Amino acid sequence: MFFLKEEAKVITLHPSYFGPNMREYLITRLNEEEEGRCTGDHFVICVMDMVDIGEGRVMPSSGHAEYTIKYRAIIWKPFRGETVDAIVTSVKPTGIFTLAGPLSVFIARKNIPSDIKWEPNTVPPQYTDHADQVIEKGTSLRLKILGVKPDVAAINAIGTIKEDYLGPL
Amino acid sequence: MLLRLPYSLHYPITITSLLKSAGDDVKKDEALFRYNYKTKVEEINIWGETEWKERNFPTRFESTVDGQVEEWKISEGDVIDGPIDVVEIAEPCAHEVQYGGMCAECGKDMTEASYNTEMMDSMRAPIQMSHDNTALTVSEKEANRVEEDAKRRLLASKRLSLVVDLDQTIIHATVDPTVGEWKEDKDNPNYEALRDVRQFRLIDDGPGMRGCWYYIKLRPGLEDFLQNIAELYELHIYTMGTRAYAQNIADIIDPTRKLFGDRILSRDESGSLTAKNLHRLFPTDTKMVVIIDDRGDVWGWNKNLIKVSPYDFFVGIGDINSSFLPQKQDIGETNNKAVAKPPKPEPKEHHANGAADKPTGEGDVSALAQLVTMGGGDDPRLRAEQTNAQEETILHQVEDRPLLQKQKELDAEDDGSAESSESTSSIEEPQENKHRHHLLEDHDRELFQLQERLEQVHAKFFDEYDRTRTSGLGGRVAALRGERVPMKDKDVDLKLVPDVKDIMPKIKSRILGGIVVVFSGVLPLGTDTKNADISRWAMSFGITISSRINGRTTHLVAGRNRTAKVREATRWPEVKIVTTQWLLDSLVSWRYLDEEPYLLPVHPDDRGEPLSPKSRELADSSWLSSSDEAAGSMFTEDEAQSEDIFRETGLDDHSPVGYDENEQAAVHDELRDFLGSDDESESDNDAWGDDQTSGGKKRKRGEGADAGTDDESADDEEDEDKQGSRLSQRIKRSYERSTGLREVASAVPTENNALPTREQAEQEQDIDKAAASNAGSDDGLPENPDDDEDDLEREMLAAFENDDDDDEDIVDENE
Repeated sequence: MFFLKEEAKVITLHPSYFGPNMREYLITRLNEEEEGRCTGDHFVICVMDMVDIGEGRVMPSSGHAEYTIKYRAIIWKPFRGETVDAIVTSVKPTGIFTLAGPLSVFIARKNIPSDIKWEPNTVPPQYTDHADQVIEKGTSLRLKILGVKPDVAAINAIGTIKEDYLGPL
Repeated sequence: MLLRLPYSLHYPITITSLLKSAGDDVKKDEALFRYNYKTKVEEINIWGETEWKERNFPTRFESTVDGQVEEWKISEGDVIDGPIDVVEIAEPCAHEVQYGGMCAECGKDMTEASYNTEMMDSMRAPIQMSHDNTALTVSEKEANRVEEDAKRRLLASKRLSLVVDLDQTIIHATVDPTVGEWKEDKDNPNYEALRDVRQFRLIDDGPGMRGCWYYIKLRPGLEDFLQNIAELYELHIYTMGTRAYAQNIADIIDPTRKLFGDRILSRDESGSLTAKNLHRLFPTDTKMVVIIDDRGDVWGWNKNLIKVSPYDFFVGIGDINSSFLPQKQDIGETNNKAVAKPPKPEPKEHHANGAADKPTGEGDVSALAQLVTMGGGDDPRLRAEQTNAQEETILHQVEDRPLLQKQKELDAEDDGSAESSESTSSIEEPQENKHRHHLLEDHDRELFQLQERLEQVHAKFFDEYDRTRTSGLGGRVAALRGERVPMKDKDVDLKLVPDVKDIMPKIKSRILGGIVVVFSGVLPLGTDTKNADISRWAMSFGITISSRINGRTTHLVAGRNRTAKVREATRWPEVKIVTTQWLLDSLVSWRYLDEEPYLLPVHPDDRGEPLSPKSRELADSSWLSSSDEAAGSMFTEDEAQSEDIFRETGLDDHSPVGYDENEQAAVHDELRDFLGSDDESESDNDAWGDDQTSGGKKRKRGEGADAGTDDESADDEEDEDKQGSRLSQRIKRSYERSTGLREVASAVPTENNALPTREQAEQEQDIDKAAASNAGSDDGLPENPDDDEDDLEREMLAAFENDDDDDEDIVDENE
């Protein structure tokens, strides 16, 4: 699910950046460091706007300036039960690896409808029901997230397509 | 799942009541049954005294899993003395496939642990199965199922699996920027050879993560090879390169991914940086797998392995992804120079401290160093260091430009001595045979041979499979079952699948089996002959590696000329003295190559006369019989076996090899100094004669002792000469331990000094005959009485050619 979240970040600036373009530089730094980051709990999708850049404080002894920036960002936190669209990255006899944006979701064979079978003899290998449903590398899938597990700087998730309206798009 | 009581309970326990009956749902940590246990507790009685009393305590046992109770294995009132199975609980999900710490089927967290956790759920699926993802693990059952499916499919399509290594097996890669420059430069002598070199750039690689260009040379014939082989084998890539590297290579060699699909395993997923493990790809069954790799050691000389000769196009670059592997033992290094002068052991470069190895053509590696690097695989700190070492290798290559240096050297050499080099023989290895004008050459034929071999293995495998399937009980059973089994099982019977591990050695040993090889000057001193790369490789062909020459020896593989063993081998007419190249070429081509072109040109001085059958028997038996005796001559050895063994079993007393020429010359002078007069040789003959009569079967030993006493005068002389020199002491010892065999060699060399004549030889023979009749047994005789005139003549001719190298023998004779 997507959220608009207010967060704060501390950026230290080398004295050589002190000057007229300091503000721009701070914004670039923030965007570079925050956007696309995975905290282990959620993904930061996009930094929307700065609420408050605040006053810089020169740190004694080093001369660096420390800015505490408050900003709003769109974040995505995947939840169990959430339905997402994903792209297949690889298919294996044990299941399908997909990528829903930044989140990698694995669909185990048990969570694939039983009529969609593993077909290793095609190039590339695929899951198919020998009708209109073909799942191979690059296919778009709609899946439901069954479980999410935060890691240090990544999130693993497992999904299912064994429900109505799920499967290849 | 069958619940078992843990060891930690306070046994014996008495079951008081079962709280769940069959068919009930049970949650984790929910009580399953009540029980009582007894223990002693400290109690304070009414008088304030503490005392230990045995008390009964009721408690309850909690389920460690979710599910439905299926069947109780215990009943109320049971007394249980130890861990037993108590209840069968049907779990809704057995968590057989797990992804990133979750069950991939039910989404439950597998890493949770509580006071009641017996075994982490994550342990239920310990096997990594997928090539490109380490987060996915499966249980053994699931792995089996997947693999069985795969095997069925392969059998139905009559294919096997082939694990392919990249670096130096099917491609050769370098990061030396010189290649890029040469590629652009039409005037460069290497331009032609570099035309089909591909390149790609890895961004976060190389020095300081600035990215660097990789230059890839495909092994000649690769495209056809892969196309043809893909029909017989399902191809997998297993490389020690990074994931990105492997992907890029795969893009080059297989742009459509029809051959490899995504069956690519890189070091990011391998789990070990120092060894490759087939079970990473085929966790339960490797029956249908063949490996091709240029290094046998990383696979532990797996029986599924076909070792190929390394592809070394960019001279001196080696394998850019192997800096953390144990150093390669260089077995191909036998060029002309090596024959002329013994190779000096190069100082070993240390991996961990980042002194990047310059991979091929460098010094030999001790087994210990290998073990050390091999063992470092599990230590994360060492691993990081090794990765750094790898980075530094690349840095070195980028900065030092070894190719450019070599070309410069080459040019310099070109200017200097152009003609002399023309004479170097052309049967040497391609990389050794550097062309005078350009460094890089491209005439590697390995893949064509390899294809044949793979076809051979494939054909043999399916012959065997078809044979077992159609004949015998298995076939009938399959036929009977045919109606009942589902369609997919019809043409395959997994039980009858033969094992590549059996078939390949069979094919290989049919080619070269039965050969008994002795190495000489091939391995550096101190190497374990049985564990060196070349030995392991040869042994996989059923070749026996022996450390000494005896009657069973068929080949002496000599790394250089004029070693003690070469000399000894000349006396065994059926032992072929060949260069290392013969063995390598035979192993590589899977053929018993004709030895003729590989015969080592034996220096005429080294040629001893052939042993007669009788003395050969003696030699054979003496290897066994004399091993426990201290008497025996000094056996100076330039190879791995410990000298002590030779000293004990001693038979050979040839002049030591491995000393430099000055030393050797000194020894020869020394020997010449006390080469005896006629008297001495006579006395020796006398001594021998005496000996014959007394010795009997053990005559040989006794004679040795006698000769020793006769030696004394000579010894004294020698002591004065060079008391301190270790060499002379050795020689002295060897005199004291003269054996019958030495006499054989020495009977004629005396003629070298024009001292004894044929008369003397005949005289000797007479003595021999006399001795034979006296002792009643002549199998100990060094000089065979059956020797006829022809033999004698030949011996004499041979002796005329001898020079100082055999002086020692002469001395023995003359003492």
